[in-house]
Amino acid sequence: MIKFLLKGILRDRSRSLLPIIVVSIGVFLTIVMSAWMKGIFTDMIDMNANFTTGHVKIMTRAYAENSNQMPLDLALLGIDELKQNLEKDYPDMEWVSRINFGGLLDVPDKNGETRAQGPAACKAIDFFHNPKEIERMNISKSLVKGSIPKKPGEAIISDEFAEKFGVKLGEDVTLFGSTMNGSMLFKTFTVCGTIRFGMTMLDRGAILMDISDAQLALDMENGSTEILGYFNDGNYDKLKVEEVTNTFNSKYSKENDEFSPQMHKLEEQSGLGDYLAMADGMIGMMITFFVIAMSIVLWNTGLLGGLRRYTEYGIRLALGEEKKHIYKTMIYEAILIGIIGSVLGTILGLGMAYYLQEVGLDFSEMTKNISMMMPPIYRATIFPDLFYIGFIPGLIAMVSGNALAGLTIYKRKTSQLFKELEV
Amino acid sequence: MEIIRIEGMTKRFPVGNGEFTALKNVDLSIAEGEFVGLVGPSGSGKTTLLNIIGSLDTPSDGTATVINQDVSSLSHKQSALLRNIHLGFIFQTYNLLPVYTVYENVEFALLLQNMSATARKKAVMDALDWVGLTDKIKSKPAMLSGGESQRVAIARAMVKKPKIVLADEPTANLDSENSHHILQTMLKLNKELKTTFVFATHDEKVMKYLRRKISLADGKVIADELMQTEKSKQY
Ligand SMILES: Nc1ncnc2c1ncn2[C@@H]1O[C@H](COP(=O)(O)OP(=O)(O)OP(=O)(O)O)[C@@H](O)[C@H]1O
Ligand SMILES: [Mg+2]
Repeated sequence: MIKFLLKGILRDRSRSLLPIIVVSIGVFLTIVMSAWMKGIFTDMIDMNANFTTGHVKIMTRAYAENSNQMPLDLALLGIDELKQNLEKDYPDMEWVSRINFGGLLDVPDKNGETRAQGPAACKAIDFFHNPKEIERMNISKSLVKGSIPKKPGEAIISDEFAEKFGVKLGEDVTLFGSTMNGSMLFKTFTVCGTIRFGMTMLDRGAILMDISDAQLALDMENGSTEILGYFNDGNYDKLKVEEVTNTFNSKYSKENDEFSPQMHKLEEQSGLGDYLAMADGMIGMMITFFVIAMSIVLWNTGLLGGLRRYTEYGIRLALGEEKKHIYKTMIYEAILIGIIGSVLGTILGLGMAYYLQEVGLDFSEMTKNISMMMPPIYRATIFPDLFYIGFIPGLIAMVSGNALAGLTIYKRKTSQLFKELEV
Repeated sequence: MEIIRIEGMTKRFPVGNGEFTALKNVDLSIAEGEFVGLVGPSGSGKTTLLNIIGSLDTPSDGTATVINQDVSSLSHKQSALLRNIHLGFIFQTYNLLPVYTVYENVEFALLLQNMSATARKKAVMDALDWVGLTDKIKSKPAMLSGGESQRVAIARAMVKKPKIVLADEPTANLDSENSHHILQTMLKLNKELKTTFVFATHDEKVMKYLRRKISLADGKVIADELMQTEKSKQY
């Protein structure tokens, strides 16, 4: 019987084409949008991981509590030893230290008098020994002029700042602030490059220097505000992170010592966990939406199909097929068509998702004034679930639509068959 | 042997607030292997009677017994089973399924029965042989003439070798040559397979073939005659 019905589906295109198209489109959209959303969320999370949170981040317990004030006096000390231990305990991860601190950037004129001043958001990373860090922060590509710091005393400043105050490469700028133990910070850097990340939050008042320079200037030898951990394969794996965090914290973090280090998962930081949950929630919501919308459309195409096949069902009733059996075959057909449509939609959707993954769409102009951390180019991400996720709306919608439409078979009276079939 | 027995059977239909009586106190007995025509003017109740014999509808009063089964007492499932195994239907319009080939249209009738593929193939080819259409098995209904289409419909009704074939105006859409051909085919099958044929008709051409003519008027049986015609003696 199934073979027979399949023949019918394949031959009577006008009856199967529309549902197949509807299912394919729905499945296509589900996949493209899921990949798209996943891509955006993954990009945002990657960016956050690369720039601020790491896959995991170690700070002192006290620093963690006040991290938005960037309290240098609560920074980690003895980081060389700590990093050595980390590398031993978690060989599949990379550990890097960074220092974030605030200050005032002063641009002197020829006579050494202040020409311009502005708040500075300083970031010190390992420019000299760790090319991965440079890549992670996308610095080479974001440079507008000049090059990265190559020797002590060099720094990159925000291109916006440089433009505004007419700072040229090779000129000196002075950073004011306070050191780790509260004394006055006064340090002059030579501008070796200007940078624009394309994200207001990172660009505003940015100054980047090597971590050794910062340690020296801030009196924090062998110290940093944070140590970030990254999985070498680049993937954020929730389970692994959970394990790393738990083992680390039970070994190093002491509740009664506010200067003991404490490890934080990416999703615990700056609401990223909610964000991840939201991504999953949105994909779920979208699938639900497609299921409902497609079911309604397919219910109607099912009703139309039922009209087209009025004679067939009549003959089958006359031949002694039970209504329940006819109804069941309609559901089988719906499943067949649902599968055909879902396969088609999945193939097309994956194709489109692949394109969006490789090429992406550039929204940087539109998001110029948004201060949230967002990637400039939006890309989709193909993930394993995509290979089956489309079948959920495809099959549910097709089957529920046809299950509804098929109910009309129960309204038919066998006593009318001769009359109905006599037209 | 009696295959259809109708006793004191009345069929009423609800119309508006009242009722319309389509069959009034009908008594009828048809034996296995008969070739019976129900004749009468339009509205006399022919189709209504076929419906009840075919267990597509039930009597309001009285009983209709078809192959020893009381039509009124059958569940949906049981009446479907009765049709599936013992009854074949032929309609005025051929009602072939356009997406399927001639072969498949006939095969369709067997799909509900548990039958091996080889047995099914043989049955289908036999049925198409009876109606002389073995050379058209791959054709689609759209390519067939009216007469050929009705022969496919006969093959479809006959393929499961039912005990009774019910036909409502099987020749109404055919010209006289094709009508004769169809009737000859049915008569031959009646002879060879002992299938009981009951059909409703007011086609004069058909009358010549009948061996028994039951006349209906206003829902009553007004005449029930055995015929001795040239054509029917032929077989
Ligand atoms: N479902 C129904 N509801 C109401 N009246 C009905 C119904 N079915 C049939 N009738 C009436 O019963 C009478 C007999 O109908 P039936 O269809 O049996 O006639 P018929 O002899 O087959 O006529 P025809 O030669 O035109 O096909 C008609 O008057 C018809 O209007
Ligand atoms: Mg009639």
